[in-house]
Amino acid sequence: MQLLRLAGLAAALVVSLLFAVFVGDQGPWYFAWVIGTIMIILISGAGAILLDAQQDGKIGSSSDQEV
Amino acid sequence: MDMINPTVVDLSRFQFALTALYHFMFVPLTLGLTFMLAAMETVYVVTGRKIYKDMAMFWGKLFGINFALGVATGITMEFEFGTNWSMYSRFFGDMFGTPLAIEGLMAFFMESTFVGLMFFGWDRLSKQAHLAVTYLVALGSNLSALWILIANAGMNVPHGAHFDPDTMRLQFDSFVKLIFSPDAQAKFVHTSVAGYVSAALLVMGVSAFYLLRGQHRQFAARSFRMAALFGIISTVAVITLGDVLGREDYMEQPTKIAAIEGLWHTSKPPYEPWILAALPDDAKQENHFEIGVPFVLTPLITHDFNTPIRGMHELEDAAAPRIESGIVAVSALRRYQETHQQADLDAFKAHEADLGFGFLATRHAPNQDVTAIPADALQSVVEQTKPDILPNVFVTFWSFRIMVFLALYFFALFAISAYLSLKNKLERNKLILKACMWSIPLPILATEFGWITAEAGRQPWTVFNTLPTFLSASTHSTSYMVFSLAGFALLYSIFIAAELYLMFKFARLGPEAHDAPHSDDAYAAHCAVVGTPHASGH
Repeated sequence: MQLLRLAGLAAALVVSLLFAVFVGDQGPWYFAWVIGTIMIILISGAGAILLDAQQDGKIGSSSDQEV
Repeated sequence: MDMINPTVVDLSRFQFALTALYHFMFVPLTLGLTFMLAAMETVYVVTGRKIYKDMAMFWGKLFGINFALGVATGITMEFEFGTNWSMYSRFFGDMFGTPLAIEGLMAFFMESTFVGLMFFGWDRLSKQAHLAVTYLVALGSNLSALWILIANAGMNVPHGAHFDPDTMRLQFDSFVKLIFSPDAQAKFVHTSVAGYVSAALLVMGVSAFYLLRGQHRQFAARSFRMAALFGIISTVAVITLGDVLGREDYMEQPTKIAAIEGLWHTSKPPYEPWILAALPDDAKQENHFEIGVPFVLTPLITHDFNTPIRGMHELEDAAAPRIESGIVAVSALRRYQETHQQADLDAFKAHEADLGFGFLATRHAPNQDVTAIPADALQSVVEQTKPDILPNVFVTFWSFRIMVFLALYFFALFAISAYLSLKNKLERNKLILKACMWSIPLPILATEFGWITAEAGRQPWTVFNTLPTFLSASTHSTSYMVFSLAGFALLYSIFIAAELYLMFKFARLGPEAHDAPHSDDAYAAHCAVVGTPHASGH
């Protein structure tokens, strides 16, 4: 099972690399869109997790804290 | 040949503009909301906090309403090409039909299939599998836009095709050239990311509404934070990618760029100002007044300080020999269709590059037949045709400026909102919250004006420099066009009313009316007890 998972991840890596090489060369703005969209999702998600962390640090004192 | 009725052409244009603009009210939200849902669900899968699942489900409901109406308004447009633009479909169908078919068969089917799984699969799929489905919906909706914009880019810059004098159509040469044309790339990324901005402001605005009323505070704070960050990066990207698209237009569609900038005469670098406001007069071919910022236009358009940008008067003069050559091409083509002689074909080939300009002169030829132009009237026809190469400058100029000014406003609003959210000072700034709430429709307005800039700026062509718009329409009667236009206006207005009613209804109900209830107090109490993130809903 572990081996199968590793093979799957390796295949995904190879496909990603081929995609990056081909699309990065032929369609640089398409490539920028893929990378940019992933970045936007990750940063907005990180913002939410940061809010959780900010509240977890204060929540013991008040449940009506400012947001 | 049927005579061209300008009223029918105008009504066909108006009908397509109306249906496209109605449809485009729904599209940006679909493009952006899907990736916002994916972001929320990603946080849910990573942290296990149920509030993010509630967020994905609630905003997913608003997405669902929008998606259904977007599909309903989009399907009619595909038929409109056949009914109202049959000449265009015949001439350009080889190029245009392929990406449209792929859009239906690949992207739209993919999106539609996974939408069902996304809505009804919450209790039937594992968290990871459901997340994958949500990403596939997001990818599908954006791939759908990709194929449409590839088709549209073919109309703006018809690379990868050649005109076949035997079939009288543009024939497909290279699929790769079509997909990877710089115009298609720039159009897609700019439009897709504009959708992200629209979705981010919807989520931020509705969350601001909850915060102003003190409702669903934890839910709204998280939604607002994610939307503000999503929006600020997207706004920076949409402005940057707009510059890419502008540069592409400068290279390929100089008349569009000159009209966008209200540039009647070739610019004088580096001083040439970027006009902030003016009153372009299409009839007199001048601007009545101008307020501009010096030294901005040249680097903005050309990305250097020394290259002049051709003005509309100079572009008209440059078109004169092409119109004359185009008239020769159309005449030779007409002869070739009758004789199939090599000499006629050779004559056509020598002037083939200017064929579209010959078509453009049709309107001013006797009986709309360029072969009937007497030698002594040729220059008169050329002079009459010259102004026709320009789009409506007033519309193009102002639709572009409204889009740009709104984008700058979004940048400021998202930047301030993201800062206040990161500092947890949102609820103290009611003015910003109100601004977010009232700004919800503005990105839709900006994308509509962006679309008008792109399409009005391409005129007088449906296929740039190749097929004039007035030759592309079907030969319907005026009454048929008025009747169908009224029908579309009525039907689509009902769709808009239904969308607004449902959106307002579900937004007002809020997440607590959702299938998976979440209480701020319960959430706060839970966190206070455990001191850590609370458990997954699964």
